[in-house]
Amino acid sequence: MAGAQTNRLDKGGLIDRSAPLNFRFDGKSFSGFQGDTLASALVANGVKLVGRSFKYHRPRGILTAGSEEPNALVELRTGARREPNTKATTAELYEGLEAASQNRWPSLAFDVMSVNQLFSPIFVAGFYYKTFMWPAKFWEAIYEPAIRRAAGLGRAAGVADPDHYDKAWAHCDVLIAGSGPAGLSAALAAGRSGARVIVCEEDFTLGGRLLSDGGTVDGLPASEWLSRTLAELAAMPDVRIMTRTTLFGVYDGGTYGALERVNDHLPSPPEHQVRQRLWRIVAKRCVVAAGAIERPIVFAGNDTPGVMMASAMRSYISRYAATPAKRMALFTNNEDGWRTVETALAAGLQIAAVIDARADISPAHRSLASKGGFPVLHGAVSGIDGGKDGVRKIAVSLTGGARAEVETDGLAVSGGWNPTVGLTSYHRGRPKWRDDIAAFVPDGAPPGMVAAGAANGAFGLGACLREGFDAGAVAARDAGRSGTAGSVPVADDQAFSLTPLWHIAGKGKAFVDQQHDVTASDIELAQREGFESVEHLKRYTTLGMATDQGKTSNVAGLAIMAAVTGRSIPETGTTIYRPPYVPVAIGAFAGHHRDETFHATRLTPSHHWAAEQGAIFVDTGLWKRAQWYPRAGEKDWLESVTREVKAVRSGVGFCDVSTLGKIDVHGPDAGAFLDRVYINTFSNLAVGKARYGLMLREDGIVYDDGTTSRLAEDHYFLTTTTAKAGLVMQHLEFCRQVLFPELDVQLTSVSDQWAQFSIAGPKTRDLLKEIVDPTEDLSNEGFPFMGAREVALRGGIKARLFRISFSGEMAFEISVPARYGEAMARNLMLAGKQFGVTPYGTEALGVMRIEKGHVAGPELSGTTTAADLGLGKMMSTKKDYIGRVMAGREALVAPDRQVVVGIKPTDRARRLRSGAHIIPKGQTPGPGNDQGYVTSVCFSPTSDQWIGLALVERGRERIGEIVHAHDPIRGEDYDVELCNPVFYDPDGGRQRG
Amino acid sequence: MRITCPFCGERELGEFTYLGDAKPVRPAADAGEDAVYDYVYLRDNIAGVMSENWYHGGGCRAWLKVTRNTLTHEISAVEPAAGAGAAKVGA
Amino acid sequence: MAEFSWDIRSPLDRALVAGPHGARGDAGVSLTEIRNFDLVQVMARRGKAADVAKAAKARFGVAAPETPKAVGAADAMLIWSGPDQFMVLSKGGKHGIEALGQAFASSASLSDQSHARVLISIAGTKARTMLAKLSSIDLHPDVFAVGSAAATSMDHTSVTLWRGNDRPDGQAVFNLLAFATFAESLWHTVLDSAAEYGVTISHSEEL
Repeated sequence: MAGAQTNRLDKGGLIDRSAPLNFRFDGKSFSGFQGDTLASALVANGVKLVGRSFKYHRPRGILTAGSEEPNALVELRTGARREPNTKATTAELYEGLEAASQNRWPSLAFDVMSVNQLFSPIFVAGFYYKTFMWPAKFWEAIYEPAIRRAAGLGRAAGVADPDHYDKAWAHCDVLIAGSGPAGLSAALAAGRSGARVIVCEEDFTLGGRLLSDGGTVDGLPASEWLSRTLAELAAMPDVRIMTRTTLFGVYDGGTYGALERVNDHLPSPPEHQVRQRLWRIVAKRCVVAAGAIERPIVFAGNDTPGVMMASAMRSYISRYAATPAKRMALFTNNEDGWRTVETALAAGLQIAAVIDARADISPAHRSLASKGGFPVLHGAVSGIDGGKDGVRKIAVSLTGGARAEVETDGLAVSGGWNPTVGLTSYHRGRPKWRDDIAAFVPDGAPPGMVAAGAANGAFGLGACLREGFDAGAVAARDAGRSGTAGSVPVADDQAFSLTPLWHIAGKGKAFVDQQHDVTASDIELAQREGFESVEHLKRYTTLGMATDQGKTSNVAGLAIMAAVTGRSIPETGTTIYRPPYVPVAIGAFAGHHRDETFHATRLTPSHHWAAEQGAIFVDTGLWKRAQWYPRAGEKDWLESVTREVKAVRSGVGFCDVSTLGKIDVHGPDAGAFLDRVYINTFSNLAVGKARYGLMLREDGIVYDDGTTSRLAEDHYFLTTTTAKAGLVMQHLEFCRQVLFPELDVQLTSVSDQWAQFSIAGPKTRDLLKEIVDPTEDLSNEGFPFMGAREVALRGGIKARLFRISFSGEMAFEISVPARYGEAMARNLMLAGKQFGVTPYGTEALGVMRIEKGHVAGPELSGTTTAADLGLGKMMSTKKDYIGRVMAGREALVAPDRQVVVGIKPTDRARRLRSGAHIIPKGQTPGPGNDQGYVTSVCFSPTSDQWIGLALVERGRERIGEIVHAHDPIRGEDYDVELCNPVFYDPDGGRQRG
Repeated sequence: MRITCPFCGERELGEFTYLGDAKPVRPAADAGEDAVYDYVYLRDNIAGVMSENWYHGGGCRAWLKVTRNTLTHEISAVEPAAGAGAAKVGA
Repeated sequence: MAEFSWDIRSPLDRALVAGPHGARGDAGVSLTEIRNFDLVQVMARRGKAADVAKAAKARFGVAAPETPKAVGAADAMLIWSGPDQFMVLSKGGKHGIEALGQAFASSASLSDQSHARVLISIAGTKARTMLAKLSSIDLHPDVFAVGSAAATSMDHTSVTLWRGNDRPDGQAVFNLLAFATFAESLWHTVLDSAAEYGVTISHSEEL
């Protein structure tokens, strides 16, 4: 049974008391209400201690009520959904929520590692750098694991995330970050002007500080104005309000990143729904109305549970009807902090004292104090007496030197407000300092962006409404909308006076960055050791480098550094601001692209038929290709592949080669165009003929190869390798549009239009005769080697037939329109049944091309020339072509280049492996005698041994020489003989027969 | 980043592929090795406004000449390559 | 002699399961695959834009699109696909590659794409919301009105997207041509994106 909500007010707050929710924290049951955050529910239940700190394991409580929280980080949920470092201050309460405190062992109340505090003199800034430097090998083995156990925050789930994420685009005229008074006012002005508006609010409730601070707008209580405004906005069809959505970054060209926590407020997302969605928002204008963050004052013990930001204290009291303290004290250096006193008194709470660092306070506050019966002390808090159960007493240094003590159970602190300058500074902008509010404000912003309201340093309600409204109206106008914005919402401006105060010297640890346990003395130490630049300060102390990115600590850190170096704060400067504003899960960036859908997949037209045959598929770029077709009883892939090769060499087989890039090259200048992109000539290719072509890069290195056929006077059909299909298309378009615009040529990818099969083996013609219309002449005379033409198939459809061979066998490639691809595979099986037709995969294809000495990807490696591949004779001397001049450079025609040669092991039983280095026989391997490497290997069923291709220095002159293969990766050394790369049918009789 | 394709309108970066400096012009066939060497290898590393080749491969497949400031990513002009839209040549 | 059957199979033949998908209740998205169409890419040759325009007008009775638009003719749809080029989508062979070869004989290069693409028609109250997950372009009705077309990318795949005539109930209709070998992969992405709104799936032979 959940405990009573001891610290919940009887009435008030934006919680739904009719909707109680049960939850567990560290295994203990509690209850809260709909509308609570985990933090507000813990406050309502009187829980003060929620975690242990990063380095010293100090007890920590809740400091803030928003996404700037450094301390109240928990592991939310359990099992696969467990998420570490979740801010209790933004986690919405739901029925059955389970959270656990972090960084403590064995329990939160008794943490063994808190002994670190006793050793704290050694855990100073730069400690790791100084202490664990030697011996170097100890780092990985001993130091790092030990440090990682001792320090650090939550634990990752360690198993795959069961939830789904997605990504979406949105477009608008005016994007508004924040739904406080400035944001809503901007939305009103822009929306009424006719603009398409998107408002992103990270909270689950709209209104920003209006929800906690109230006030009067247009003569109405803030809550009434809020509902009236939201109703007006809801009625505008092109105004979109997105709650639970944080605008986290701005990118070039008016593109913004936002994270929508679609279902983080539920135990698990409803069926078919995502947990989070990443938005890319394209906006013509952006109004940053992201408000400001109240900043702490650094004093000894300022991290004690129960010390809380003043604005957070009043949020808990007024928005959540939860009381962090019964008799609180306030420590402020500004007017705004007093609003917490007003809120507390209105809620019937007591005030122990107000410690105000300013010399003067207003008469109104003085009379508030006398009415409330509490003292106002001029001075500063210098220490805290308290611990894991909270604050007991505070020590005060009074102006003039005297000391005082105040008994209290909670301390509200206000050191002033820092405008949220992240978004406006993400394009390397540097905010500027304003003395009147002692804070950095935006100084310009990325194109199209403007800050308004508290984010721009305007802290009064009236000013926020005015600035927001003006910004919204201007943004709409700039985006081309000309409607009437109407009248601006009106409210009074509160006075804001502040005496800057950053750090009170005293005994005990005074924390600047509570999440990373960086103290004021760490900053002083960094300065003494010479790390004075803010970028050095940040990295040496890790100030601002935790998951909160120093939202509550950076400016105080700069101020302390400024004080110890005798510079001003603006002279000290800020570090560079970078997105994201809040942590974004990798899952959200990945969206749909994970596991099987990590990338898009391409399927060949016969894919499902091959799957029916039990094919094993291999990922080749985006493609799934049939690698081999195992049969019952075959013990491994090699047995299947060997069978497939033998079946082709002795009978007939077929393979889906649709993955080759296929490009229609049309136009009167198509031949001239191909002459410029290939090293050999195509303009003289006869219609009805195919030719092997080789392309170079402009630097003379081989780019791609393939067979290109001339189907008509002005129509060539070009093929590329599978790997380079897209790149070759891009390259050809570059040649057509940029290099040779004078040529009349048109290019179209037809890769997806045609299902293409290679049919190979001595019985190929027999099989084809079964399937091709009997009127077609397939004889050697009627359809000679390298012939290419359209043929009719039995049953009425037309195909393209090419007499080309990659296997060295008598072979054709046949293309049918892709939707007939599966039927083609079935019909080939049917027609070839009597000849024992065998489907083969990419492995057998590879074996046969190595046997035939054809080069492929491993040889077209981006380092080889045409001559290296044995294709130098193809280089035309009668025309210019891409890569011609550079291919003639000295080093590219040097006689000692590594060229393609065949290899076979001297021990016939030995297996070869690609990657082995070739060195002269009898020498000790070393960089000085490395003469090349093995590029492709296979077990050749035809030779009944392993064979391979290698790139070897002067290889073609050394046929017959025994060299040494050295494979240090696998620890293998053996001798191989250099041989003719064409192992199979070297005179080519079979493919021409 | 967003690029306004002269044919398609404004599109996101993901539809485009960057190639590089659009200034170098491919030398004539008889220009000699030095000229081709310059064309292939020598590039100015411009911190500022530069003319670049971009391919709208995820869209209309036009090659574009984009004038971009490499410091700010501001794009001040986008023109089609000479051979994109050549059907209107002489019209 | 074996009897061959030349079954024509859409690339979505296996993946498409007609009926409801995803969230129950009224489907927010309807997906209809249109099968067995003729699609010809028409690319004007150098300096021949005017000739192509004239030939298109003579053949179809409407001007071919010169900007990203889809133009409906009596028995074909002309869809802009890039500078100097458009696609002719039709049924029954009347405007197939062979028929059009005559019409554009000297002015354009033609490439048959009938088998290279799948055509998916997307409608429903949540169609635009769902498409925002796939498409980076702005499909707001003021920006992407009836007849607008785009050569763009979805899920890292090139697609042609155009807005057809609204349905009788006023719902917008988005037509998507995607490459055939990517079809199954893209289809699963579409289903993933649409599942939360409830989907009704069908296929049709009608354009």
